[in-house]
Amino acid sequence: MTSIKYKSMAYKSADEMVMGTALHPVTEGFDLKIGAGYVIPEINYAPRPGTEKDAAKLRKEYVDYISTDCLNRAITAGFPAVHLETEWVSQMNQEKLSAPVVAGQKEVCEKFHEEYGLACGVRHTIPDQREHDLGLRVGQETEHSYPELFFQCCDIACENGADNLSVESVGGKEFADFAVTQGDIVAFLYGVGYLGSIDMEYVWTEMVDVAKRNRTVPGGDTDCSGANVAMFMAGGLVDLDVQKTFSAITRAISAGRTLVAWECGASGPDKDCGYEGPICKAIAGNPTTQEGKNCQCAHCDLMGNLPAQICDCWSNESVEYHPEFGGTSVQCWLGSLGYECALMNTAIETGNAKTLRDLYRTADFTRSAESYILAYDHAYEIGQAMMANADDYYTRTRAAALKAIEIINRGYDKKELLLTVKQKETLDDCQKKIEALPTETDKFAEMCHKEYNGHVPNYNLKNYGL
Amino acid sequence: MIDYSKVDFSKILTRYDVKTQVVETPESAAEKMLPDDPLMRAVAECVLFKKVKDIAPAMMAAMGKYAAADVINGGLVPGIDAVGKLYADHVYYLPDMMVAAKVMEVGIKLAEKSMGGARETKADVIMHAAEGDPHDIGKNIAAAMMKAAGYNVIDLGRDVPVTVAVDKVKEIKPLFISGTALMTTTMSAFPAEAKLIKEAGLNIPLMGCGGAVNREYATSYELGIHSDKANHTAPIAQKLLEGYDWKRINEEWDSIVGGA
Repeated sequence: MTSIKYKSMAYKSADEMVMGTALHPVTEGFDLKIGAGYVIPEINYAPRPGTEKDAAKLRKEYVDYISTDCLNRAITAGFPAVHLETEWVSQMNQEKLSAPVVAGQKEVCEKFHEEYGLACGVRHTIPDQREHDLGLRVGQETEHSYPELFFQCCDIACENGADNLSVESVGGKEFADFAVTQGDIVAFLYGVGYLGSIDMEYVWTEMVDVAKRNRTVPGGDTDCSGANVAMFMAGGLVDLDVQKTFSAITRAISAGRTLVAWECGASGPDKDCGYEGPICKAIAGNPTTQEGKNCQCAHCDLMGNLPAQICDCWSNESVEYHPEFGGTSVQCWLGSLGYECALMNTAIETGNAKTLRDLYRTADFTRSAESYILAYDHAYEIGQAMMANADDYYTRTRAAALKAIEIINRGYDKKELLLTVKQKETLDDCQKKIEALPTETDKFAEMCHKEYNGHVPNYNLKNYGL
Repeated sequence: MIDYSKVDFSKILTRYDVKTQVVETPESAAEKMLPDDPLMRAVAECVLFKKVKDIAPAMMAAMGKYAAADVINGGLVPGIDAVGKLYADHVYYLPDMMVAAKVMEVGIKLAEKSMGGARETKADVIMHAAEGDPHDIGKNIAAAMMKAAGYNVIDLGRDVPVTVAVDKVKEIKPLFISGTALMTTTMSAFPAEAKLIKEAGLNIPLMGCGGAVNREYATSYELGIHSDKANHTAPIAQKLLEGYDWKRINEEWDSIVGGA
């Protein structure tokens, strides 16, 4: 499978996009249809510390406790469908730990499907432990052989019954860390928009092959290691370490990177923490998993209701398994997700999906510059800018960044979006720097290599096959 | 799109960041905080205003008149102290702090070259990201802040095996060792490390940090202390220097980090 780049928008207008429906729905697991007219809760969880110490304990935690608790709660509350997501802990790169979990979760899903008719399936998100100083590509390092382990994890997941194969890949992370801590937007554009996209093509070409060989759905990726680092460090309203206008621009850039998985043949849904999902859905028409107000167990972002606007699965990001008053943590948070989905599905069934979409959007779009650019109408505009510059990874991500800046400035001028003095200064500084960049990819890459080689820790062109 | 032209958004959202923003500039703050001597001031200004290209000539000029150690204490340190104050006052932000710390590091290297050896630091500290954990941005930020605060940071990197971390503690006997973890299943390295440090007869605190780690977990085993934010690390280190042990750090944690 080779990568085929998107050249035009899947949707003719922003208004065509609604929650629960994607142009290209995905069928997986046990009768689970994603993006086929209803929104599905996607519950994500982390095992308790110590359970990773042996295979039996870990299987019990994931299968007998977490998965069974989730599916039981779905039945208790009457949810018609549930998507589980298992983000593998690092120790699961050992087959003896991961294979029983994957197979066990499949068995539990089958049992609930047969007994109750519950539509369900499991997304397996494998760990990307590759280290930039040692090498991102197969054959580059022998210390841990992380690149080899990465692809072995894909095999283990798919061969043991994963319904959906996903990852949070780390290509470009060395630049993202540098860019966020130094406030260097050009470094982010080069590392994530250009190099990160090249790495996505490398990993996803193989992941799609493995998934398809095993009849697993290749789902998608996220720029968690880049744009989410920026977003989390930008934090809440009075957290000031990283400017929110900076993180908004990194989000727009990350859309170009996340899209590559689908260009390599993955079909969605993409990963919950990929807040860039609305931009990607607008371009590709594939279903997207999003998270926001019902992921407060994991973090407090400034997105709130907004990401629900055009989502197909609705996620809690992650919660550690533990008891709560209302049951176990996964049961409580699945309840929170499931009832939100019930509202969305009621809106769809009563012909009010677009009204609810607009209410979700408008409730929180002025909370930060990042939520502002991700309002579905603005996300669509960013997609259009990318498709007008669709020649390669750099040109489209640069276009995304500039369009995001334009949208933020427009909101600021209209007094719709408030910015602090520092947020505005940072925005103007980023605009100046990005506008000054060469428009030709070769010149840009040459300029950045000269600027960052020896300066950005662990930067090595060989990691990207260059 | 629904019509929201008449919406009073103040009933939906208060933008506390806009409401409480600080408008002081670094320049106005500098007037109150930098040394008067023109050579020392030039060095301090390089740090405060993040002039990485100017630090070498400024250092050379100052070291032409003053001893290198005095230039560190009279130029670089007031510069980074001013940066710290501006950071605490929300005039400066993380990227400002990181670049200023880099300028200071360049200045210190020049001074150390002139002195023919390493400067005297407050103490050795060891930092690492837990075994199996590739996330090290928090550790890197804390390390930069600790270096700027005058500590010798021994950075073991990320995905550091428990035995490697513990062996280094036995060898160096630092003021403390910190570890970061972003995953629930990698943070269990910390109690394992603490147990081995204890078994070696050392009473050296292990500071558990990172996205997955909360105070309750990090202090649930002997030697365990916690830093919630990168800029909490230096105030805790200061108390250890003053003779606090890990138990007293935990007892007084709120007041120690309260002002950071």
